[in-house]
Amino acid sequence: MPNIKIFSGSSHPDLGQKISDRLGLELGKVVTKKFSNQETCVEIGESVRGEDVYIVQSGCGEINDNLMELLIMINACKIASASRVTAVIPCFPYARQDKKDKGFFDIPVDNLYAEPAVLKWIKENINEWKNCTIVSPDAGGAKRVTSIADRLNVDFALIHKERKKANEVDRMVLVGDVKDRVAILVDDMADTCGTICHAADKLVSAGATKVYAILTHGIFSGPAITRINNACFEAVVVTNTIPQEDKMKHCSKIQVIDISMILAEAIRRTHNGESVSYLFSHVPL
Amino acid sequence: MNVAKSGYRVFSANSTAASTELAKKITERLGVDLGKSVVYQESNRETRVDVKESVRGQTIFIIQTVPRDVNTAIMELLVMAYALKTSCAKNIIGVIPYFPYSKQCKMRKRGSIVCKLLASMLAKAGLTHIITMDLHQKEIQGFFSFPVDNLRASPFLLQYIQEEVPDYRNAIIVAKSPSAAKRAQSYAERLRLGLAVMHGEAQCSESDMADGRHSPPCVRNTSGHPGLELPLMMAKEKPPITVVGDVGGRIAIIVDDIIDDVEDFVAAAEILKERGAYKIYIMATHGLLSADAPRLIEESAIDEVVVTNTVPHEVQKLQCPKIKTVDVSMILAEAIRRIHNGESMAYLFRNITVDD
Repeated sequence: MPNIKIFSGSSHPDLGQKISDRLGLELGKVVTKKFSNQETCVEIGESVRGEDVYIVQSGCGEINDNLMELLIMINACKIASASRVTAVIPCFPYARQDKKDKGFFDIPVDNLYAEPAVLKWIKENINEWKNCTIVSPDAGGAKRVTSIADRLNVDFALIHKERKKANEVDRMVLVGDVKDRVAILVDDMADTCGTICHAADKLVSAGATKVYAILTHGIFSGPAITRINNACFEAVVVTNTIPQEDKMKHCSKIQVIDISMILAEAIRRTHNGESVSYLFSHVPL
Repeated sequence: MNVAKSGYRVFSANSTAASTELAKKITERLGVDLGKSVVYQESNRETRVDVKESVRGQTIFIIQTVPRDVNTAIMELLVMAYALKTSCAKNIIGVIPYFPYSKQCKMRKRGSIVCKLLASMLAKAGLTHIITMDLHQKEIQGFFSFPVDNLRASPFLLQYIQEEVPDYRNAIIVAKSPSAAKRAQSYAERLRLGLAVMHGEAQCSESDMADGRHSPPCVRNTSGHPGLELPLMMAKEKPPITVVGDVGGRIAIIVDDIIDDVEDFVAAAEILKERGAYKIYIMATHGLLSADAPRLIEESAIDEVVVTNTVPHEVQKLQCPKIKTVDVSMILAEAIRRIHNGESMAYLFRNITVDD
């Protein structure tokens, strides 16, 4: 493919490499370092004049540093006369403080979905998938969960917090049936994992035979890993929007779904001016 | 003081206790309380800012010092400024004594002019005015779309020299490299002392590499068109370090705006000692003192390093007793007071020469 360059920031170089491998390209040369006063310095190592540039940087780890690095890389490419600069941000930071909807941006946003990859994983890895229940750990995820349940043609359930009296701690109530079934918890992100671990306990006491958790972004900060190790999950599955090698060393329950092909395909289609909406319901091979 | 009537509030956007020291000193001098807010990092390293009082229709000053974690400090400032903007503050004035990324203000090969990027980000976040001190390059003021007040620390450092350096009349002001000569000369003029300039190999650091591309090129590229014979540029010769000016039998005072990586300073001090200086001081506005700086200073020929409290450096001071601090909260507080009252700031610049 002519006129395209892909650069990876330092937040997730592995994903950047996977994406460029799928596209049959070499990753662009860029040097990112920090001066001794901790200021970020970026130098693009090849010409980007007139090129369609894609920068892969995920909002994980030291978020402010990675964000600054991304901004500086974008700025450097623009000053070096790139024809178009697109940021590929698998896990968008500060998403819980604002909304990441299209209306909040002045520039085009393509919000891809991990759903097709999740569906594929469920069918390939959970034997009893035809008789499972998809569960949302909170009321906000109901839409996400019903979408998956419909495509698999299975039931869904959700857990919602109920406060009986003003000073009482929230009680978690299961709405739906999981008795003698495999329960699959689905959510968009897992940070400290307090919610999903409580949910797992709830599901087991309601009669679920096995509990899986499938989460798009596995942030896993603070006590998350300890909580997962102590909880009764069969497996905790995340995508590789955030690097997981370190976490997997401390927790054998974590498995990773590779979504580099979705991102690579999105980049290819955007570069060629094709429609990206095909990716909203299909996983490229 | 009746807070409600004063019509302005002062917030600090730093999250660590060491960084809020300067803000506390400034608010003490102004006789106001620091605005109530909570700034912290969540467990997933996202910055969170909560402003705990109403700021509607008020003029807000945000004091932000820049500690080790530069990018987080920038994010804290941006998030707080935006929070105040969306809460209907009338004016938001950033008090950023040390302005970060000011060394990345020139185009370097395929780099980014981060300073300009930062200026655009601050404007977008809602700042309407900035007070800073001793900008690395005065031209940075041009990157901003709103007013920038570039205060000077030199009156404080000059006062320190006159009061704390015994026998200062036998001193000579030294510029560590030709680029620092203008500032050194302005100090020398005001103290009525001599000037010396150092020049040579160790000095060839980033300041000379402003644009890695030379036109015409220094090296002949094989990928050029045959027949296009451009004359080559002469590569710079790197002479050994020399001192232009006589430092024999004098106190040498090296003057600079930022002291960060101290290798250059240590090397300069060695040379000055060899040439006969019997005491060596370093005066710098912003004491970043990164990495191994305290240890290197302690082991070197430098007698004292004097910096202001624009950048928190308590940890470095514990490791190296040669480091002394000059408090500049007075001028920052005075600037805040004058801006709020709409008074002239000219008085704060009365003793500043054109090269400072």
